[in-house]
Parts: sequence; structure tokens; C-alpha cells
Amino acid sequence: MTDQAHTGATRTIRPQGYWVGVARDGQKMGFWFILPTFLLLLFIVIFPFFMQLYLSVTWWTPLEGIPWYSAWEVFSWFDNYLTLATDPRLWGALWRTALIMIVAVPAQFFLGMALAYLFIDQFPGRKLFYSILLTPMMIVPAVVGLMFFLLFQGTGPVNAHLGLPADFSWLTDVNRAMISVIIADIWQWTPLMFLILLAGMLGVPSDQLLAARLLGGSNWQNFVKIILPRMKTVIIIALVLRTVECFKIFDLIYIMTKGGPGVQTETISVFLYKQTFGDLEWSYVAAIGLTILIVLSVIAAKGLAYMARKQG
Amino acid sequence: MKPSPGALALKYLFILLACAVVLYPLLWMVTMAFKPYPEWTTVAGLTWLPQDPTWQNFEFIFRGHAEGLVVSLDRTITGPLIASLVTSICGTALAVVSGTLASYAVVRFGLAQSLPLSVLQLRLFPPLAVMIPVMVMWAFIGAVDTWWGLSLIYGIVTLPFAFWLMKTFFEEVPVEIEDAARVSGCSYWRVFYRITLPIVKPGLATCALFVFILNWSDYLLALMLTQKEWVTLPVYMATLTSAMGGQMYGMKAALGVIAAIPPVVFGLMIQKHLVRGLTFGALKQ
Repeated sequence: MTDQAHTGATRTIRPQGYWVGVARDGQKMGFWFILPTFLLLLFIVIFPFFMQLYLSVTWWTPLEGIPWYSAWEVFSWFDNYLTLATDPRLWGALWRTALIMIVAVPAQFFLGMALAYLFIDQFPGRKLFYSILLTPMMIVPAVVGLMFFLLFQGTGPVNAHLGLPADFSWLTDVNRAMISVIIADIWQWTPLMFLILLAGMLGVPSDQLLAARLLGGSNWQNFVKIILPRMKTVIIIALVLRTVECFKIFDLIYIMTKGGPGVQTETISVFLYKQTFGDLEWSYVAAIGLTILIVLSVIAAKGLAYMARKQG
Repeated sequence: MKPSPGALALKYLFILLACAVVLYPLLWMVTMAFKPYPEWTTVAGLTWLPQDPTWQNFEFIFRGHAEGLVVSLDRTITGPLIASLVTSICGTALAVVSGTLASYAVVRFGLAQSLPLSVLQLRLFPPLAVMIPVMVMWAFIGAVDTWWGLSLIYGIVTLPFAFWLMKTFFEEVPVEIEDAARVSGCSYWRVFYRITLPIVKPGLATCALFVFILNWSDYLLALMLTQKEWVTLPVYMATLTSAMGGQMYGMKAALGVIAAIPPVVFGLMIQKHLVRGLTFGALKQ
């Protein structure tokens, strides 16, 4: 390996890197080590990408009876892309996905931050409470969907506790369906925010915090001036992670409401699923998928470049 | 600085409140699993603990029928349970083995420096946006509704986690130890197999459990790539209602409890490393 590669490694957290001047047998072993991952990536990225590109400019559906490689027989130029630009159902689904992100992610963030703040210091029972609070994010999302499906039934415990009649519906109501889904998402993923933010908060040097306290800073001042600035990276990681995952949301919604009533809780993933299996519009879904892929890649590249510039 | 008793009481109050909110839906499902039919709804009054606890729901999903129930089930839990176990374990093995090898090559030999980011990109996209070609390919090679087809996709989608997690564990191994072994005449393979792997063994176990949880939790991929023979537990749970007409709350809750247990147990076991795993090694606790 060259020196240039070696200096690249010093940017990792531990300055010790890999061996300089790996002999040929080592290179060879490294090649075999990377091969499986490389083949898997090739298998799932390169080939599907071209297939998706190909199918997206046709009218191919699995119903036609022609195999996918003959899809050029129903070549359609950019019709799918023109359709998706003006498809109200697609834009509605995108808007609802954005709505969930706008409401759920900040809610999870603030709740997680508040909880993390309570867990900075040691106190009796901390470990037990910590474990309890982490449980939701370990539960299979589909099971969380079932749990909230059961809770929000007309004859479920929520209505009983709130003193509402059994015909007061949550999951089949135009407005409350979305609220129920968002509540479920917040319930499941606040623990993740809590976990990450607490790890970041505990990473703040305790002597700095102690010094600030001794100098007479109020709790709020210490939090805003000492803790928050030192948690910036952690906060960004937590928010990015949750936003990306929130955009994918499917299991929870599909089990709770199937996107209904009507299209009231139909997010982008639920919409794509219904197009794929309900309407069998595979080439249309391929076009939408490819567009999402490109847009997200551009956003990610811009984001990474921005981060690199900030650090450099 | 000691907080005042009032502040401490307030703190406990908030934490207990948060725990109550966390436990509320959980408790309802767990107790539901042990409730007989009349207690499934709150029509006859809200009961938190089963008044008349029963194993009927579990008996029903394991045997396909239960005493006192007119309905019966054409598919018991056995098939989906085996399917979930087999595909999760095989997918985990695939992800962990290839991820471990590749991350070692990246960390120690400095090969393929662009690999980490390209692997990470796999997690960026919603699976549904890239599923069309995958489904066409799976159908083309005859992998739909087979154990190896589902394991293959599981291995691929969890590879980024395995790769990044193992990368951080390898980075923590002091290169001096390996250097010493090299100087004593060990081959590269021997250094990796006899020195490094034993050192990262706890990390490897953590990584395997973490990836297993992810695979076990999948719903969407199994929904799309299986039809009957290899339907996994979450998919089976979700389709239980439609297959039997009426709402089978108790049985579904029993299934939910069974599906939820392994991830929670494993998750609590690797609690210390959860942050590292979930943030792709960016944060350590």
C-alpha cells in the first residue's frame, strides 16, 4: 500500500491504521476477503439498476405474459415519468410521508432529549428504568403495529379509558387514523433517540460540566451552553438516522390501517406496495423507484459534501 | 451537586410516567394473549389482568384447534416459526461472514476504501423503491418462496450493519499484536484466524445477535418474496385474521408475544453495543 492510502486511514477515530507495505500474499488474501461482499453488492446494485432503468421505460407488467427481457416490445419512452409527475396519489403519499416525518421525528427528538437529560446522573433503579425505556425499539415493528391496532379498536382500552363510546373509531377515521399511526411511531422510536442522545450526553466531559456548575450556571444554562454544543454531531446523526428510517415507514402502517381509510395514511412505501401487488403496475413502480433513488442519492451526496466542508 | 428532594421526586415522577407509557400497549398485548374470548374487548368492562387466564390462544396456534372453539386453523405456527428461524439464521450467517471478511480487508489491508460508503448507501433507499428488479430477478432464478431466496436478501440488506459494526471492532484491535505475530512468522491468514478473530469474538457475537434481530424483525421482504411455504412469523401473524374471518385478537396477541420475545431478549443482552450497531459505529458507549 502507498503512503497516500496510509494518511487516509489516519482520519479514522484511532490513528493506528493498517499495515504499510502488505506483501503480495496479504494483498491476495484481502482480495478474497472482499470478494463475497463485492459480489453481493454487484448482484444487488449493478444488475437491478439497469433492469429497473429498462423496465421503467416500458409498459411491462407481470400479467402480460411476456418475460421481462422482452419488455422492449411494449416500449413506452418516458410515459411513466410523465405520469408520475402529475399523479395526485403519488404526491399525496409523498406529502403524508413528509407529514409523519415533520411531526414524529421532532417529537421523538424532544422526548428523547428530555429523557436522556434525566438519565445523566446515577440514581437508584437507573438500570432497570433504562432497560424498560429501551424495550419498544427492540420489538418487531409488525408486532408494534398489532399492539396499537389492538389498543385503538373501538372496543379497546384507549376508548374505555377516555370514556369514549365503542363506535368512536381511531383507525377508520379520516383524521384520527393518521394521529394513531404517528403515536405508534413515536412510541416505538423515541427510545432510539433516547439511547443515542444519552450516549452523546454522557460523552460530554464531566469536568467541564462540573466547572460550569461550580461557576454557578443554572441547569438550563449548563444544558444550552455546555451540553448542547458538544452534542452537535450526535444530534445530527440521530436526526438523520430517524429521518431516513421514517421515510421508509411501512410495517406499522400496513398492519394498523393498510393505508386507509381511503388513502388517509398511505405513505410512499404503502403506495408503492399497493401499486406493485394491487394494480401490478410494475414498470410504473420501477420509474417511481428510480426517481426516488436518484433524488435521495443527490441529497445524500450534497449532505456528505456539506459535512466534509464543515469538518475540513 | 445533590439535587433537592423535590427535584428528585419530580424526576422519578417523569421517569415512572414514561415507563407507564412504554408498558401500556405492551401489557395489553401480553395479557390479551392469556385472555379467553369474552375478555378480548372492553364491552363487558375493562380488565387488565385476565380474569380467567387460559392457554387456549397458544394451544390454538400450535395445534390448529382448541377446546371450546368452533373454528380451526389450516396452518399452524410451526411452519412460519421454522421459516423465520431458518431464514434469519442463514441471512445472519451470510451478512456476518461476508461483512467480517470485507471489513477486515478494509481496515488492515487498506483495500477498497470506497466500500464502506457504498455499503452504507444500501440502507438509504426505501426497499420498495428497488424491489421491482429484485422480484423479477428472484422469480427468474426461482428464488421466490424458498428459504435460500429469503436468506439471500436478508444477508444483503443487513450486510451494511455487519460490515460497519465489525469495522469498529477491528479498528479497536491494536495493530501491534498482529505485527508481533507477523514478525514471529505467522502468515496473514494465520494472524487473522488465530490472533484477531479470537480477540474480536465478543464483538462477533454482538454483531451476530444484532443482525439476527434485524432479520427476525423483517416484515416487508418476507411479504413480497414468500407466498406460502416460507412465510415468516410476522407475515403469518398479519394474515391470521383474514384467513379466519372473525377478529382473532387473542391468537394474534399470542403470536405477537412469541415473535417479540427473541429480539427483546437478545437486545437486552447486547444493550451495551446497541448504540454502536444502530449508528453504524459512529457512536460508542
